[in-house]
Amino acid sequence: MNKETIRTGSQKGLLFGIVMIFLVLINFHIMAATMISKVLGTNVLRGAFPEVRFMIIFLVIFGMWAGWSAVRREGSTTNKLFEGLIGGMTTGLVVALFGLILFFLLETQTDVRRYLTALSFASIDIFLLGLRGMGILTLFGLFTLTGVLGGALAVGLRSQAVANFIKKIKTSIRNLRQRITDSLPDNVKKYGKYIFYLLLLVLLLLLPARWGSYNNFVFGMVGIYVILGIGLNIMLGLSGQFMIGIAALFAMGAYSVALLNSPFPHGLMWGFWPSLAVGVVMAVIGGLLLGLPIMRLRGDYLGIVTLGFGEIIRILLNSDLLTDLTGGPRGIQNIQQPTFLGMPFNDVSYAYLIIIAMAVSIFLYYRIENSRTGRAWLSIKEDALVSQATGVDVQKYKLLALCVGAAFAGLAGGIFAARNQFTGPNDHTLMVSINVLSVVIVGGINSIPGIILGSFALRGLPELLRELETYRLLVFGALLVFMMIVRPEGLWPASRPDLEEKGNTGLKEDLDPEENEGRSDD
Amino acid sequence: MDANQSSPPKLTRRNYSKIIRPIFGILVLGYILWRLYLVLIVEQAYSAEVWVRLLISGLIIGGVYALIAIGYTLVYGILFMINFAHGEVMMIGTFAGYFLFEITKGINVAGAGNPPLSFSDAYPFLSVILAFLVGMTVSATAGYFLEKIAYRPLRGAPRLIPLISAIGASFFLQNAAQLLFSPQVRDYANPQAIARGSGWNLMINESRIVITYTGVLTFVLSILLMIGLYVMVQKTKLGKAMRAVASDKKTAALMGIDVDAIISRTFIISGALAGAAGVMWGLHNGLVHFYVGFLPGIKAFTAAVLGGIGNIPGAMLGGMFLGLVESLGPTALGISFQLKDVIAFLIMIVILVFRPSGLLGEVLSEEKV
Repeated sequence: MNKETIRTGSQKGLLFGIVMIFLVLINFHIMAATMISKVLGTNVLRGAFPEVRFMIIFLVIFGMWAGWSAVRREGSTTNKLFEGLIGGMTTGLVVALFGLILFFLLETQTDVRRYLTALSFASIDIFLLGLRGMGILTLFGLFTLTGVLGGALAVGLRSQAVANFIKKIKTSIRNLRQRITDSLPDNVKKYGKYIFYLLLLVLLLLLPARWGSYNNFVFGMVGIYVILGIGLNIMLGLSGQFMIGIAALFAMGAYSVALLNSPFPHGLMWGFWPSLAVGVVMAVIGGLLLGLPIMRLRGDYLGIVTLGFGEIIRILLNSDLLTDLTGGPRGIQNIQQPTFLGMPFNDVSYAYLIIIAMAVSIFLYYRIENSRTGRAWLSIKEDALVSQATGVDVQKYKLLALCVGAAFAGLAGGIFAARNQFTGPNDHTLMVSINVLSVVIVGGINSIPGIILGSFALRGLPELLRELETYRLLVFGALLVFMMIVRPEGLWPASRPDLEEKGNTGLKEDLDPEENEGRSDD
Repeated sequence: MDANQSSPPKLTRRNYSKIIRPIFGILVLGYILWRLYLVLIVEQAYSAEVWVRLLISGLIIGGVYALIAIGYTLVYGILFMINFAHGEVMMIGTFAGYFLFEITKGINVAGAGNPPLSFSDAYPFLSVILAFLVGMTVSATAGYFLEKIAYRPLRGAPRLIPLISAIGASFFLQNAAQLLFSPQVRDYANPQAIARGSGWNLMINESRIVITYTGVLTFVLSILLMIGLYVMVQKTKLGKAMRAVASDKKTAALMGIDVDAIISRTFIISGALAGAAGVMWGLHNGLVHFYVGFLPGIKAFTAAVLGGIGNIPGAMLGGMFLGLVESLGPTALGISFQLKDVIAFLIMIVILVFRPSGLLGEVLSEEKV
């Protein structure tokens, strides 16, 4: 046991202690215990508190985690165990001090909920394990014990034997995969990609009809964000223009469809399909109007101007000035539902519509990316000056990128408005732009699978995890930070940057997607 | 190829902005002049006292914006990243001040009056000073940890990565505050000596204009803090180191400057300024809630860009300018007050279109943009 041991142990312990206090202050411990209780088969009624034993399970897991992370990579086994012990003890000490305050509040019946809204007496009581004063000591003991346990676990799982075991499993899996690929006939290997796409298509055709309207709703949300993400990626990822105002273009699509299809305020009933086209055109015009004056701006200046543009559109939609034209803050209700060959739309048809729109968008994206235009965009992104010198009309292509991206945003907006049968200023806030930006970056810039994955992760999962409802955005924020630290290139990064590092000559062959995939698999 | 060698290569075929920008500028300028003419000369709807009142409120809000904008600019100058969570740092400071006031309200000073006065009533100025100190300290701490947890691991990553991390941190802090303190809107302390709405009276055209104490406090304190910051950046060793790190991190490190420590201190300073701005905001506007930092944050960022991001006098100028535009603009142009943000953003866009690096901004080199 040396100085370093004590230092790491106590530092980690302090950190975990503070985190625990924070979790208690936001009532997270109750939610966690409820979840554990549900997983273990004891249902907890809404508003009721879980049993104490589930709280203990949560605390044990937390304490073991604290002990685990207090253990450093180097040092002898005894040292590591000591680190776990000190980590657990420090956590326990911090939590016990906090428990003492809570106990004091409980004894004097001081209600602090006016300031700390989650700290009810029932919540305090269950955190002290129902033992009141003794609970403090129990907590301290519990964390000390679980700290050592976590340390021991870390020592065990990080040992050479376990590492060898994992390595063995990995090699055997790789061997198995290799054997399966080898055994397949050449035709299957060649068309494997297409078979995969076919299976995906069949799955996408079957699922929406089966899995209920709520899942369709979530799926639609994800799909709309995929289209938006593709639009943003054209501006941001391909042509390198920092855009934070995509909500404005989204709003143009949505309002076009809404205004041309609702009894109020204009009573126009153009039908969905023509107005969707109008929406796309309107968004393109919006992109053009935005792009023309700001072509000289770069980097963050461009970002803040587009942000301002988005806010301007939102405030205008919200203001009295345009109430006659756009319905004002109340938005537009009762949007007429589209029909296809005389059949009215329901949630399943919307899911299909979104699948088709997504497929078309992805197809178009790939076509554009690999065209002359796409390459011009990429060259502008890498170095505008050089690409201008080599004959690329930088301004034209930058504008084109804004317009094409805007078209996708308009498409997404139109579908969004019709599907919700409502649109209002609050559907087009800065948060929408920020969410789309997060989807693209978290998924992986310039990577369509990444954007799809990002949409699922950021838009789909939070909708499905309704249990966590209160903590959704908190977890979302923490996750964004965590993702950026651990995996900044995105969930499914694009394969192109790797090629560039390998010495891409910029020849046409190198930009061919089939080639790329073949190489990145190696 | 050979035939064209003699003539210089034509780099741009069509320069759209060359045609569009003057048209855009003339349209906007024409509209503004027309509205000004209508409001000021034709209608003459407002007397001098209205203008003075708006001017005063614009200066006050401008001071707060300027303080927050400096935080953005300091960080941007050094790291080239938009510290999106800066508004939340301010929110934390506002809450810290709020809780300090609640505590001082709760403490009874023995033997001072009957019924016993609370600390905040007995020593109003001391409690206000305490609130500022606590708000600044807590915000500075928040800024320090924000940098340490969310930004330091991302040193050297592509530009968008820290931005997303900052957005995440902003979400996290906002929702943590909401979960901790509930989403309700709370009344900020209103110390009797500087009660909101009370102040010195100024007579113009026989109508009374109140120059509120909180307003004067906000304005004077923000100016003092700005001067202090400017002196610090220009004269002290820390300021010199900050400027060195801002202009070239590698060389600064070679000169023996601890770059990480300087960045930490920059966050501490910008956090402290945001905390002061937060307490001012609370005292002047009288409200605190978990969302209190978001809008001022966005506005202040706009102000920082307006002045030329990375440039400290630019941030001050931009903040003041934005505050004045926001408060005078709607009336001067005869537009509904709802649209004050539209005017603010529009002015920003116009300025950036003609001066792409802000009012006082240097022309940034390629690598910085």
